[in-house]
Amino acid sequence: MVVVLLLISAISAFLVALVNDVTKDTIALSNAKAKNAAKFLVLGTSESEARITRDTTCKIGDFEITVSTVTRNDDNAVIGYAVEAPSITKSGYADRITLMVGFKEEGDRAVINAVEVLSQKETPGLGANMTKEGNSLERSIVGVDPAELKFAVSKEGGSFDALTGSTISSRAYANAVETAYAGYLWATGRLNTEAGAETVTGSTQQTDSNLL
Amino acid sequence: MRMMNILIGENISAEVLDGFATGSVTVQAITLFAIVIGAIFVNNVVLSQFLGICPFLGVSSKVETSLGMGMAVTFVMALSAVVTWCLQTYVLNPFGIGYMQTIAFILVIAALVQMVEIVLKKVSPALYQALGIFLPLITTNCAVLGVAIITIQKDFDLLTGVIYSVSTALGFALALVLFAGIRERLEVEDVPQPLRGVSIALITAGLLAMAFMGFANVVPLP
Amino acid sequence: MSKLQIITKGIIKENPTFALVLGMCPTIGVTSSAINGMGMGVATMVVLIMSNMAISMIKNVVPDKVRIPAFIVVIASFVTIIEMLMQAYVPSLYASLGVFIPLIVVNCIILGRAEAFASKNCILDSALDGIGIGLGFTLSLTVIGAVREVLGSGAIFGYTFADGVMPLLFILAPGGFLVLGYLMVLFNKIAKR
Repeated sequence: MVVVLLLISAISAFLVALVNDVTKDTIALSNAKAKNAAKFLVLGTSESEARITRDTTCKIGDFEITVSTVTRNDDNAVIGYAVEAPSITKSGYADRITLMVGFKEEGDRAVINAVEVLSQKETPGLGANMTKEGNSLERSIVGVDPAELKFAVSKEGGSFDALTGSTISSRAYANAVETAYAGYLWATGRLNTEAGAETVTGSTQQTDSNLL
Repeated sequence: MRMMNILIGENISAEVLDGFATGSVTVQAITLFAIVIGAIFVNNVVLSQFLGICPFLGVSSKVETSLGMGMAVTFVMALSAVVTWCLQTYVLNPFGIGYMQTIAFILVIAALVQMVEIVLKKVSPALYQALGIFLPLITTNCAVLGVAIITIQKDFDLLTGVIYSVSTALGFALALVLFAGIRERLEVEDVPQPLRGVSIALITAGLLAMAFMGFANVVPLP
Repeated sequence: MSKLQIITKGIIKENPTFALVLGMCPTIGVTSSAINGMGMGVATMVVLIMSNMAISMIKNVVPDKVRIPAFIVVIASFVTIIEMLMQAYVPSLYASLGVFIPLIVVNCIILGRAEAFASKNCILDSALDGIGIGLGFTLSLTVIGAVREVLGSGAIFGYTFADGVMPLLFILAPGGFLVLGYLMVLFNKIAKR
């Protein structure tokens, strides 16, 4: 009796492990692809028109924030910065959320170009609506200078129009955008922290040496 | 680098700035009290998290039986919180087999329920008499697995995890007993034919869920 | 019972939501819009067909006493495998159905059908039962989702017609219980005739 149950469990576990082994590379690859595509998407361009010339990663505790500089192929001009950032101080309803935020520089101001949700486990139909095109959260911050944003939902005096019925998910979203903005300022050497950003363990990878 | 004439990071909150300054984040500590109140009332497992609805509808026709079920679930959830937490921390994480989580947890819960049943039968026949028939039902109670997974997702330590699980189970018991009380009264009322049975129970549950919405924003969520 | 009957009984006579009252958690949890209801229904149907076939295959080697744990392990493995395969080879489908898959493990419809049907019937019939119950589940979830979407967000299948005037309550938890309750009244009324 117990033997049969153990046998069934062992076979099941073996099958799951097998499928995991076969699929994990493909999954990692397609995730990396999606992440890469998002970097271009949030700056309104595509992989055929532009390339990533610099990747700066900083680690805050267990969280990684990556700032990628995206450069146009035609004239080697920097289009903007794609920042991958998790919500660090506020979790969503189920788990932390991760966003890709595109920052463009127009004259002497920065502007949020677009936001893509990379990962979230919020409730379908409520918090998960943050992945929908033109949702209220994204609408309320696109085209705005992040220096003028208040990183909270509107009913708490912030700049983010919360998703209906999902204040917690919306708070996490606002926090992820805030982290992304801080990451963008840090990567471009302009973050005002008292201790100085040098203490952050970070690494920068130059992917295109022509530019220096 | 171009120098820009903008307000630099003045609107970034102290917590996030601190993260960049020190390389670590201190997430605001949520008190155990908030966790207990949150799990019992604000985020009631049945009425706002949609877990464990089947036993909620199935064994809630009498206050007495629902109390028994509530106790059985509390007992199993507390045990399973300890076991699944240890399993995740000392087996699944070190070996990098997190994808086995669902299978491992569900098997542990099923085994646990069987074990509790056998032990109770030997040690305390009276308690077994009281809880006996509810124990097999718990294996298929999605709230037990759901809470075990939520505890891991929220990165609780063992003590917090157990307190959270027990509070959630108490919330389940509370909803169940309240609901059974209402249903006992409904039984003697003249309910229109098509509404009888599950329909009126669901509508009642809806009203109860509405009442529990009043607890929203009482404490910060864990 | 003819093969066709096995499929059609799942839609009215043994409708998993309204007649068998199984799998209530995902039914209320994900039906905040018609599309979500349909997504959950389809994902459940796929898992149900496969798990029914698997249970039917192993039904003779599993001793009665460990039946439930054995079935649960088989179902959980299936769900995990399907999730991985979908994520790897059809990422676009995974993007829209992925969130529902882990919820299927705790859906008592799957175990209920394994117990009530697949453990007693041949592989083909079990698969057909999976299709029938799956269809019934998909239909009910889509209807509940559509009603909640219309009442709660003034939209149908994502097309908004009355923005911001409908009571949000219907896409929150209480609305789920209420809509399901009243739809069940309607179902009882029609099915009894």
